[in-house]
Amino acid sequence: MQSVQTDVVVVGGGGAGLRAAIAVAQGDPRLRVALISKVVPMRSHTVAAEGGSAGVIRGDDSLNHHFDDTVGGGDWLCDQDVVEYFVAHCTEEMVQLEHWGCPWSRKDDGHINVRFFGGMKVQRTWFAADKSGFHMLHTLFQTSHQYPSIKRFDEFFCADLIVEDGRVQGVVAIDIATGEFRLFECKAAIICTGGAGRVYGQNTNAGIVTGDGMGIAYRHGVPLRDMEFMQWHPTALPGTGILITEACRGEGAILTNKDGYRYLQDYGLGPTEPWPRPKAMELGPRDRLSQAFWHEEQKGRTVSTPLGQVVWLDLRHLGAAKIHERLPMITEVAKTFAGVDPIVSPIPVRPAVHYTMGGILCNGQTETPLKGLYTAGECSSVGIHGANRLGSNSLAEIVVFGKVAGERAAQYAKAAPAGRPEAVRKQAESVESRLLGLLNRDKGDRVATVRDEMHEAMETGVGIFRKADAMQAACAKLTVLRDRYRRGLKLDDRNRAFNTEWLSAIELGFTLELAEVIAHSALHRKESRGAHTRLDEFKERDDANYLKHTLAYRTGDGPPRLDYAPVTITKSPPKSRVYGGEGKKVELT
Amino acid sequence: MADTRTIEIEVLRYNPEKDAEPHFQTFQVPFTHDTSVLQGLQYIKDHLDGSLTFRWSCRMAICGSCGKMVNGVPQLSCHTFLRDYYPGTVRIEPLNHFPVVRDLVIDQSDFFEKKLPSVKPYIVPKNAKPVSAGAHVQTPAQFQKYYQYSQCINCLLCYAACPQYGLKPEFTGPAALALLHRYNADSRDRGWEERAEILNSEEGVWGCTLVGYCSEVCPKQVDPAHAINQNKVNSTLDYFGVLKFLMPKGGA
Amino acid sequence: MARVKTYVRPMRGWWRRNPYYVRYMIREASSVFLAIYTVILLVGLFRLTQGEAAWDAWRAALANPGSIVFHWLALLTVGYHAYTWWKVAPKTAPDVRIAGRPLPELVITAGGLLATLGTSALVYVIVRWM
Repeated sequence: MQSVQTDVVVVGGGGAGLRAAIAVAQGDPRLRVALISKVVPMRSHTVAAEGGSAGVIRGDDSLNHHFDDTVGGGDWLCDQDVVEYFVAHCTEEMVQLEHWGCPWSRKDDGHINVRFFGGMKVQRTWFAADKSGFHMLHTLFQTSHQYPSIKRFDEFFCADLIVEDGRVQGVVAIDIATGEFRLFECKAAIICTGGAGRVYGQNTNAGIVTGDGMGIAYRHGVPLRDMEFMQWHPTALPGTGILITEACRGEGAILTNKDGYRYLQDYGLGPTEPWPRPKAMELGPRDRLSQAFWHEEQKGRTVSTPLGQVVWLDLRHLGAAKIHERLPMITEVAKTFAGVDPIVSPIPVRPAVHYTMGGILCNGQTETPLKGLYTAGECSSVGIHGANRLGSNSLAEIVVFGKVAGERAAQYAKAAPAGRPEAVRKQAESVESRLLGLLNRDKGDRVATVRDEMHEAMETGVGIFRKADAMQAACAKLTVLRDRYRRGLKLDDRNRAFNTEWLSAIELGFTLELAEVIAHSALHRKESRGAHTRLDEFKERDDANYLKHTLAYRTGDGPPRLDYAPVTITKSPPKSRVYGGEGKKVELT
Repeated sequence: MADTRTIEIEVLRYNPEKDAEPHFQTFQVPFTHDTSVLQGLQYIKDHLDGSLTFRWSCRMAICGSCGKMVNGVPQLSCHTFLRDYYPGTVRIEPLNHFPVVRDLVIDQSDFFEKKLPSVKPYIVPKNAKPVSAGAHVQTPAQFQKYYQYSQCINCLLCYAACPQYGLKPEFTGPAALALLHRYNADSRDRGWEERAEILNSEEGVWGCTLVGYCSEVCPKQVDPAHAINQNKVNSTLDYFGVLKFLMPKGGA
Repeated sequence: MARVKTYVRPMRGWWRRNPYYVRYMIREASSVFLAIYTVILLVGLFRLTQGEAAWDAWRAALANPGSIVFHWLALLTVGYHAYTWWKVAPKTAPDVRIAGRPLPELVITAGGLLATLGTSALVYVIVRWM
């Protein structure tokens, strides 16, 4: 097995990974960085993020407002010290991106423009048309070319970490083009592999969002925190689940049911006027909007289409000029994938899984409990999203904490003692034979069969609204599926060179374990909070018993062992989470 | 489903471990009104032949992974629909002008390892200032000068369209040159001198004979043909030593 | 990625595989006619400097059926060449924006074609009436 000697390995080339790599390179150009990604970096799912990235900039805004919105949005499950750090560093990262060339949308005077986003009291979402993630990612990727110390390994599939003497000493990856394994001997590793949306069938996520990094950390004893909190984005296209950005609502779009009625007013988000108005109606938080859809569907007030039940996202009153300027990609997406021109017709939408609030446990400095392992971005649970993420906090998160991870990993790598290459190599070889073993099975399910059954179990048992018996059924089904997976999947493709069926089998292994973590974490949180809402006896938030984080530890072939950890409260004691109500109509910029 | 029909998909297969040459294989694929070519390929992989290999990711024409030749035309397979080819056969091949690695997967390394880095695709700051000084001011007029060219998703359809790239792979090519122009045209940048050697060379704008097919196939209307060919004037002015009086320099 | 064995597809016959390329090749081929016609015209210009006898001899040499056919073909192809020239001209023009909107390509193409036709008409009128 070929070996690469490096200092810091970054796994994942999306916004967080690129920002981390640049931070290492800027901090000390003598440190060698290996950026490993299973896709060429600009294909990473950051590219699909649309709406924008939060950063306090207006005179009538403040860090306290951003803090309050985030903590309230997270239903008080956020670690408030980390949120304080986060809100204080968003704006400088947005400015740094601008210096690197990011084409943020401007006001007529040439200054940065910001828009409203769900759950936010003041406009603070920086945006680049409705392709903010695309522009941020391309800016970071193109900027990274200036740093020769960053060596990229594009289309290398990270298969495992090598942990020796209780710390990370290597990463094993598969060179996808050849199917050969490569060992990266390193002092520190940063996991930036994104979320786990592909645990569910209906999702806005790319095919690559399979939670590989979470699965790898989990297998090395690092707990996954708050995995029961999966976010359903309220406005995705039926069928494909393709995202229709919250920015539409930030620009004033409304949601109506089959009677043309703005139904959100029935769910504590009203009154409807004045509109637009922050933190009310369609600018409420995502969990409340997705839950409202579910209720409307139960009441039979949603619209039937061949692709499922939908409601209407109506942009018509915004006018062609504004739609063309602010929402050009959405227009294209709606026309191409839904056959609808938003200037003249409303867009059919329904909730789809979009974001993983939980992830790899780490502290506010992105350090995981495993020495030498850092994590940033959607795959991490650094503590800012709590039980529900506000839109535009995630694009900010990847650069704020990507930078922290890079700096911390670099600091650690410089001080870390020499490794044990022989022991590391032996471990790497056993990873190789374990994974090559997946190629040889002559009997077993197809990848798609197990994957579809997992989707069915999760959609039915661990959906937007949850009940104990359905969750239990999902847990049981996942145990069965994990067992079938262990007994072997039968692959059609026995090649080494560019074998994507083999890789999707490896990914499925991770996704199944994550599904199990989600289902068990959900079953055992006996309250409703944020995106985890139950219809059984635990319909209310229970701060007395559950103002705590869920930690899931791997036990091997069995279900996870769950533990709990306290939430850090500093400035904002838990209050009831209120949206809607009175307010003044705002001027959208 | 009520309106499910079947279409014939013919795919190029090539296994470097077994084949001397590529060959075609045909599959019968069920589809409905909104089934994309990509979904057709996924159906084949999931249910008929798991060894069929192709790149894809976002499914919404923003990541640039899924470019293929569909009936001889470079397309993003995620937003090309089977209904538009029925009842004919859909012939799917890897993007032209790139070596084939396996089935529909091309070797992209020439673009990502050579052409893209060669154009210095990053801001060379005109006014170096610290982050604490805040964002630059950039008026809508300044913004418009480069924004269109920043829309490139690196899908490489333009390279598959460009016969010059196919005939002479040293040509820097449409997307890379459009990106070069994007940075030259950004009011915050003054790196045009550093990019001039590439721009002015035979492999730069002068390798383009304005076939124009690149701009036809671009899914994001970047118009690389325009980016390249408007720079032929600039390149000429530079040759005569005149351009430097017209272009921005560092400083306020 | 040169570590793997790859297959390079041949470019032979590339232009016949797509109607867009065929039109491109016809456009390029039209310049052959333009080149030949230019040479004939330059010869004529030279003969003009040699006096009336040389000029008349040149004109007589062009008065045969083969030459007439060639000239009609040349007129058609050069006309097509002018049309395609103006069609791609917008790509060579700098980015011009009017009130933030890009100048439509049709403006340059139509304007150019009209100017070409107008100039041609003017030249024809002048020559006829001399």
